[in-house]
Amino acid sequence: MGAEELHGSLHALRGEFEGVRLINRERREDMPQAQVKMDVRKVNDDVSVIDVKGELTAFAEGVLMDAYNQASDGKVHAIVLNFEGLEYMNSSGIGLLVTLLIRVNREKQRLLTYGLSEHYRNIFQITRLDDAIGIYDSEEEAVRAGAA
Amino acid sequence: MREQSPRAKQRHEEPQLGREPRDATHWARYVKTLEGTAGPNVEGRRVVGPLQGFGKMWQKTYKVRLEGASASPAEVVEAWRTRFPELSGFGEKGFRVPAGGLVPGAVALLGGLSGVMVLYSDEESFTYMTPEGHPFSGWITFSAHTDEDATTVAQAHLLIRANDPLYELMMPLGLHRLEDRTWQRTLKNVAAHFGATSEVETRIVCVDPKRQWRRYKNIRHNALILSALHVITTPLRWINRRHQASGIRHQQRPET
Repeated sequence: MGAEELHGSLHALRGEFEGVRLINRERREDMPQAQVKMDVRKVNDDVSVIDVKGELTAFAEGVLMDAYNQASDGKVHAIVLNFEGLEYMNSSGIGLLVTLLIRVNREKQRLLTYGLSEHYRNIFQITRLDDAIGIYDSEEEAVRAGAA
Repeated sequence: MREQSPRAKQRHEEPQLGREPRDATHWARYVKTLEGTAGPNVEGRRVVGPLQGFGKMWQKTYKVRLEGASASPAEVVEAWRTRFPELSGFGEKGFRVPAGGLVPGAVALLGGLSGVMVLYSDEESFTYMTPEGHPFSGWITFSAHTDEDATTVAQAHLLIRANDPLYELMMPLGLHRLEDRTWQRTLKNVAAHFGATSEVETRIVCVDPKRQWRRYKNIRHNALILSALHVITTPLRWINRRHQASGIRHQQRPET
């Protein structure tokens, strides 16, 4: 193999390698991240509220569980999820709520929600989450129910 | 340049204030019971999630890295959805896809035994929910995503309970193993479809070890029991039909 031919092959290989690197970099940039923010407020001794803002997908698991750990600190009897800022939810997000519910029940607490739009209320109905998670229209109602 | 995935594209668009949520078309619409399916043990049944079942709650995750494959997550999910009977190994008779395809709200029949409803479907995932009487009460989500090293990963994720005491009894007697083998085989087939031969990783977690004893009555919908009863009583129905037919002939005979 001549030097020129070898140089050409190396050049082609480098080009291919650069192409793969570019695709991988674009894919990494494309990788879904947790597009959600959760703030925890302790309303009173019995109830903590988690304000959910953004997307509830599988990638929100860490954020949701951290928020729950923060919210259930002390002798809280009820955790209220505020969904006024919910922008997107997929089936993995619903799955997260089920696993959260199991944790909450294990701690002998209650899980309540408010701020669900008509669309998300329908999703709670079809997935039958509304059998186990109390749905309220406002924070006052949810907090009152949580403290009862 | 490589195109962004549809979800990533959507995420960067301006927020759609006052419009329907972005996921509105991805979800099935609420129905009280499944109608118009013509499926035994499906027609007239309610769909059930992991909260409505009887047995312990299991989270099962099966995934395979599509090493060397150039397919994007959306391409993997599209192929998985459109070729589901073949890739799952159920075949066309074992998994009857409705005419409109696996769109949200569609009901696919599993042989003559039960069925599943498409609860959710987007570019990178789709989820089935089971009806009353199915061995499991819960959801199964098929999805694909890009791993940290940019390899596409296909995944099946189950959140289930055995639907009633009989199925719960069958879990350690082979139902668990059957479920594991089904989805491990499916993922192997998905990998093979894209030219990958990687091993399937399995992760099983008992999310809730408590049985929901108040749900013991779910057994009245048990598809196995009802199907067996249907088979056993076939001669009785045949005799009854013949008896009714001869009665009609008797009535129609002209008086002499």
